Amino acid sequence: MRRYIYLLLLNIICFVLQATVFRHLHLGGVAPNILIMVTAASGLMYGRTLGMFSGVVGGLLVDAMFNSVIGLTILIYAFIGYINGMLNKLYFKDKLYIPAITIVLSDLAYGLLYYVCRFMLRGRMDFLFYLLHVMIPEAIYTLIVGLLIYMVMRRIKEYFNPEERVSLEEHIEMDREKII
Amino acid sequence: MRKRTKITMDPKYILMTIAIVCVALIIISFRFQDKMTPIRAAVGSVVTPMQRGINKIGLVVADGMDYATTVKKLAKENDSLKQQVDELSAQNRLLQQDKYDLDNFRKLYDLDEKYSDYPKVAAHVISSDGNWFNSFVIDKGSNDGLKVNMNVLAGDGLVGIVTEVNKSYARVRSIIDDESSVTGSFLKTSDMCFVNGNLKLINKGMIDISGIPADAKIKDGYEVVTSPVSDKYLPGILIGYARDIKTDSSNITQSAHLTPAADFSGLDMVLVITEVKDSGDLEDILN
Repeated sequence: MRRYIYLLLLNIICFVLQATVFRHLHLGGVAPNILIMVTAASGLMYGRTLGMFSGVVGGLLVDAMFNSVIGLTILIYAFIGYINGMLNKLYFKDKLYIPAITIVLSDLAYGLLYYVCRFMLRGRMDFLFYLLHVMIPEAIYTLIVGLLIYMVMRRIKEYFNPEERVSLEEHIEMDREKII
Repeated sequence: MRKRTKITMDPKYILMTIAIVCVALIIISFRFQDKMTPIRAAVGSVVTPMQRGINKIGLVVADGMDYATTVKKLAKENDSLKQQVDELSAQNRLLQQDKYDLDNFRKLYDLDEKYSDYPKVAAHVISSDGNWFNSFVIDKGSNDGLKVNMNVLAGDGLVGIVTEVNKSYARVRSIIDDESSVTGSFLKTSDMCFVNGNLKLINKGMIDISGIPADAKIKDGYEVVTSPVSDKYLPGILIGYARDIKTDSSNITQSAHLTPAADFSGLDMVLVITEVKDSGDLEDILN
């Protein structure tokens, strides 16, 4: 229950930051998408259910405040949370490249789905343009900002669950002992 | 260890439930726009006060930073402005003479000036959305007399239209949004056209104009204003300036790009016209 409340608050805070602060921190007309990053990271850290929960909260905030259609963003975010949750076993506290890869892939997947649903269906067919000018810059910017937030989230997780402090090396060590 | 008493459900089924609910929501919000207002109002009442607070802090910080960097700029600007004042006051004298003539002509033509003064309310932009669309939230709502379909300006240019009103905030879709379309007309020639937002061109500071009649004698730099034909936009509001005019391959219409008169890059203050276009007559005719 504690985790649900934590993720709810985290999503609200990130949404507020995204809609206010990052509005002024545009780079080349593109702002980072922190909510997708939070969803991806919570799936990776806490598993499928909490990843989905985070996605639903984040998607609902975006849809209710900015979109004329409620539901599409929630759906995309929930799927991304779920898929990241399946990678839960890859969560090691000392490796940053795993979340880096999942954050980038999540953001690109979100961009692609959103493009197909809201732009391609209206006859905006120049995919390459949107890929180069919106999706990829957004993914890179999200990665940079996202890793900072990821480290904060990791610190919070360690604070509440100190027994889960396992690094990749310790994992390999444990596996070896099992085999022996 | 804590005892686990909660019922655990396979996440697969939760995901399926979410998917079904979402699809239902999408369909409902397509068919019945207003059924969704309770959800929006609930989310808005949690989020907007926080956004407003953060925005205030942000403005203070930005002001402080601006102060240091702008002193030099101001000195330079002051010089050039002084020059401009001289030039303009000379021009003004000429214009005043013209205005006297114009007033006389107006009286002759019995043209009333009802379009020049719409009642307006100023509002702050408190948040805006991601990279795909261009809508934003302002800090005035139905408590301040705002209604859906009110026009929003910044400076002299059209910015967008109010699409949704809650008690203390309202959502505005800007004209540069990819789904926005405004019926406009050229001020000088009265030729009709459609001004469409286009995500591809926004980076260059432009949007699209389409559907200009092929025989329209227009040139780069002509003003495009909202057309009296539009059912949501009040007539005579400046949208922007046309450029890159070319004839379409069909030879029936021309299309062009438009530089908006309002500055969208640093949108902080906007003006909302508190008058909704009365298109009741039009609807009667259409029905």
